[in-house]
Amino acid sequence: MATIRAYHRPQSLDEALALMAHSDVDATILAGGTVINGLPEEQPIDVIDLQALGLDAIQADGDRLEFGSMARLSDLEASELAPALLRDLARREAPNTLRNAATVGGTVAAADPESELLAGLLAFGATVAVVQSIGSESIPLSELLAEPSRLGLGIITSVTVEVGGDATAERTGRTPADRPIVMAVARRNEAGSVRLAMTGVDSTPVLVETEALDRLEPPADFRGSTAYRRELAGVLARRVMTRLGEEQ
Amino acid sequence: MKTTITVNGVERTFACEPHESLKTVLRREGYYSVRFGSETGETGASAVLVDGRLVSTEILLAAQADGCTVETVEGLAPGRGLDPIQEAFIVTGAIQSGYSTPAMMMAAKALLARTPDPTEEEVRDVLTGILDRETGYVRPVLAILRAAAVLRGEAVEPIEAWLVPALTGPEVDGPVDLTHPLEGVPSAAPLVIPSPEVPETNVVGKSERKVDAIKLAKGKPAFTDDIEMRGMLYAKMLYSPHAHARIVSIDDSGARALPGVHAVLHHENTARVRYASGGQSYPNPLPYDQVSFDNKVRHVGDRVAAVAADSIEIAEEAVGLIDVTYEVLPAVFDELEAISGDAPVIHDEADMEGAYDAARNIVHHMEAEVGDVEAGFAKADHVFEKTYRVHQVQQVPIEPHIAIAYLDSDERLVLRTSTQVPFHVRRMVAPLLGLPVKDIRVIKPRIGGGFGAKQEMLIEDVVGHLALVTGHPVRLELTRAEEFMSSRTRHPQTITYKTGVNNDGVLVSQSMRIVGNTGAYGTHALTVQQVSGLRGLSSYNCPSKRFDCDVAYTNIPVPGAYRGYGAPQALFALESHMEDMARQIGMDALAFKRLNWTRVGDPLDIATRLGEGSSDMEVVPVITSSGLEECVAQGERAIGWHRRADPTWIAPPDRPHIRRGIGFAMCMHGTAIPGLDMGAASIKINDDGSFNLLIGATDLGTGADTVLGQIAAEVLGVPLADILVYAADTDMTPFDVGAYASSTTYVSGMAVKKAAEEAHRQITERAALMLDLDSPGEVELADRKAWAADGRSVGLDEVALHSLHQDQQHQIMATASYVSPESPPPYAAQFAEVEVDIETGQVTVKALVMAVDCGVPINPITSAGQVEGGMIQALGYGHCEEMAYDENGRMVNPRLGPYKIYRSDEMPRIEAYLVQTMEKSGPFGAKAIAEIPKDGVAPAIRSAIGNATGTWIDAIPFTPERVWKALKAN
Repeated sequence: MATIRAYHRPQSLDEALALMAHSDVDATILAGGTVINGLPEEQPIDVIDLQALGLDAIQADGDRLEFGSMARLSDLEASELAPALLRDLARREAPNTLRNAATVGGTVAAADPESELLAGLLAFGATVAVVQSIGSESIPLSELLAEPSRLGLGIITSVTVEVGGDATAERTGRTPADRPIVMAVARRNEAGSVRLAMTGVDSTPVLVETEALDRLEPPADFRGSTAYRRELAGVLARRVMTRLGEEQ
Repeated sequence: MKTTITVNGVERTFACEPHESLKTVLRREGYYSVRFGSETGETGASAVLVDGRLVSTEILLAAQADGCTVETVEGLAPGRGLDPIQEAFIVTGAIQSGYSTPAMMMAAKALLARTPDPTEEEVRDVLTGILDRETGYVRPVLAILRAAAVLRGEAVEPIEAWLVPALTGPEVDGPVDLTHPLEGVPSAAPLVIPSPEVPETNVVGKSERKVDAIKLAKGKPAFTDDIEMRGMLYAKMLYSPHAHARIVSIDDSGARALPGVHAVLHHENTARVRYASGGQSYPNPLPYDQVSFDNKVRHVGDRVAAVAADSIEIAEEAVGLIDVTYEVLPAVFDELEAISGDAPVIHDEADMEGAYDAARNIVHHMEAEVGDVEAGFAKADHVFEKTYRVHQVQQVPIEPHIAIAYLDSDERLVLRTSTQVPFHVRRMVAPLLGLPVKDIRVIKPRIGGGFGAKQEMLIEDVVGHLALVTGHPVRLELTRAEEFMSSRTRHPQTITYKTGVNNDGVLVSQSMRIVGNTGAYGTHALTVQQVSGLRGLSSYNCPSKRFDCDVAYTNIPVPGAYRGYGAPQALFALESHMEDMARQIGMDALAFKRLNWTRVGDPLDIATRLGEGSSDMEVVPVITSSGLEECVAQGERAIGWHRRADPTWIAPPDRPHIRRGIGFAMCMHGTAIPGLDMGAASIKINDDGSFNLLIGATDLGTGADTVLGQIAAEVLGVPLADILVYAADTDMTPFDVGAYASSTTYVSGMAVKKAAEEAHRQITERAALMLDLDSPGEVELADRKAWAADGRSVGLDEVALHSLHQDQQHQIMATASYVSPESPPPYAAQFAEVEVDIETGQVTVKALVMAVDCGVPINPITSAGQVEGGMIQALGYGHCEEMAYDENGRMVNPRLGPYKIYRSDEMPRIEAYLVQTMEKSGPFGAKAIAEIPKDGVAPAIRSAIGNATGTWIDAIPFTPERVWKALKAN
């Protein structure tokens, strides 16, 4: 368990922002808690639980779909509004005992480098709504993953994706339900442009240009060397692009 | 702060700290069904329903649950009796240790509340968060489907063994078609191939409910941690951050000054008594290379100090305040480097006892030979030599090591501990604590899996020391990371076979050289490697055999006992080598193996030169029963063996990067350690004609208490419900070596049978007196009665009352013990089907089928459960589990997930067949079954990958990059 000094459950976004601004130790947003509560924290933190703020809705917004940041992964998995591929990636993200607690916003904030769901959100052009005490902004997920400090003392309130188009994923792992060593997800939107996102090739899930595949320098670990991951990236990218009917 | 939660329909307000998990608070409030598995929630043992959703409560703050409803198993059937979900789990055999069963049942409740008629896929998904090392998920899935049917109001059939006709043997006419699978098998029925030699029995051979079913199904406080003790202290250990270092100084003043700290122990204030930690018979095999706390550390995770404090948090803080100065030493991790003569010396202490050559890090050196191996090589048509490498894995019991020590009212030390070896622990811990054995009582409650990790005296000395120093009860539970790095693991080995074989395929001469890696300490080093040699040189006939072995000290976390005990390592190498040779001489691998494998009447010659009991073995044992041919035939049919010769099946045209294959491995194991393992049992009658059965045997969740109860019930002519089993308490039960070496059914079972037969004799004597018969020999026991030949009878309750109260009063009771002169091998055929992605190296295991000759299965459903669950652990060994290290010897994946164990939604098809043979030396014909399921999966997967791709890989696990590299190299 993390060293949690105080627990807050604000009743409004303003109250939450004020708590973030005024805590005298590190204040951390608590979404589902599946990451933070399991961390062996050395420094004490205050946690600010967003569960009372009503941020868990999943709603269509024109040609986009908005996931409240406190929507659980199991809500996303069950949502008939959501694209089938994202529902499947939400299911794969965690076993059901954690999927029932972990949230979309928490997944974004945790920025797990192996998150298949984040790769999927990248492919679906996700933007992240962040509310700060001075106002709110919408940050493309790719930019937030590359530069997490942009979150600052802000609070993620929703994640919005495009819908429609075609999408497909491929992965290589030790077992069928394992976190993949490398995973590729590609989506062609209704306008015909294609986005390819991957895990296992960089320090976070990333959007990848197909021409840049050879230049990837994936960090190695015991499951996959840099050379092997690069090879996988090429193979899996080719497969998903071929399945979308895109020539390599 | 406070949190208000409606638990099982009752609104309650609990005091809690902001950082406390819901698991911690629920357990403190007495909801003991909520169990610890890991700090990060992946095991799911702590899962309950929060507002109807299944959530691991280790990662949920109690504060987060404020205002929520919580449902636990305690709410399912609060009085006596069972909920349909609990009933279904019991009758399908879904409960083994029962540690995670409450979480699984709540998963079922959540699923069935929203989906009354779930698909198997939906059931598997709802179990994804509950990791299981015991059942392979086969029976929990069936249990939930059965519960769903019951809750829908459908009738369900009782679960009986499904008798499968034999495919081989004298009764079978002509060739049998093996290309069509068995049809019409009812759900959850264990598959038994009966033998005509096996006599009819009433209780033995039946799938009886487990005798501990109620406490496990209802989540009762039955495990080590499920006890409330006033004034309990919490222990934490300081573990070494270095792989090899000398402790220059320890300053514990900061830790001692912390309020709430009661004791800090380390090498400067704890007696230095040498021991070996492996839970084995007296005298424990050498070396004696450990002390409770040393001035040197030999692996990351080695013990440095222990603290006892008022809370876990204070103990953790105190551990951080112990100031240790280390002189870091060079370290060595590889077994071949360690013994090269050019490596750092790991055990350089002056009082080291019993290593073969400590200066060269060689713990043991063994040689054994039958015949003349070199002469055999000289005259063989071919000589093949090949080296194989097997790696390090951990047992991963979902309940980690945990022990509680306290002084009872007589100031004797009680150790309540999750152990497989309570009697060994008592004897071994006594000198370390400076107590006589009589002042120690060891109690083994229910335990949440052991698999060999708990065949150790691992932490009992620590809690014992701390309880003696503080006078308080002291509890120590390992974290998941500590369980990986500071408990026990499987020995890695480098194995080289050299074999002479003739053109006709007959083996002429075979040598096996093993360099074993025993890490920092030599616990089980001798015997694990002996078993590797024994198993690696016993499966096939060969006139000349030689075993040559060095066991190396290194700086990796300590290997020890792990289900299979040296056999999985040896059989991976042996079966791989046999296949490789068959290919090279142009023979079909199965035909080549069949030509050479041992049959009834063949000698187990190397056994007299190897093994713990070998010194007592004067006569070369011979094989007395084998159902191997039948196992192979059943397995071939079940896996669809014929497909492996079909090129369009192997390379499906519509999936260009996929290759499919099917593989086979034969397995042969031992049953108990002959001449050494002893089990004992006491039995006594009660007023109502029921019996107490007291046994030292140690049920790990395998069903041993049930099986032993069945043996007693069979002899005494009563139903199993009339046998009250109490086990594994050194004050209350007779001795037993404990749960290891596949010995409980065979050895402890014979002790129970002998004790029951003596009680039977006393009952018939009494009944003869009551029925006015001349001879007790005329009396038979059946249906809770003693019967005269003329049809008159007296009930056992009447016998008991007469004997206890009325005439020539006498307690009908008996004690017996048993040690086996032999170790009849169970045999098995293991099959695997795989898909290989030839572009990425990813191997997907599609099916595992194992047919096992375990003699007569005393309880077919628990026997099937042993095979199903064992295969899944073995699958992890061959396919995905590995302990990985950085260059400093620190494990990089001490967490479930990065350390990958299979979960419910990715399981291959699993089938187990029980092929009966009548093993006359065993109780009612039984041989062992617990370990053999670990032996054949890795070589069968290798064989299947070879069938699929023509690439043969000489090291495990078959992770994607290893396979990819091998495919590229080919």
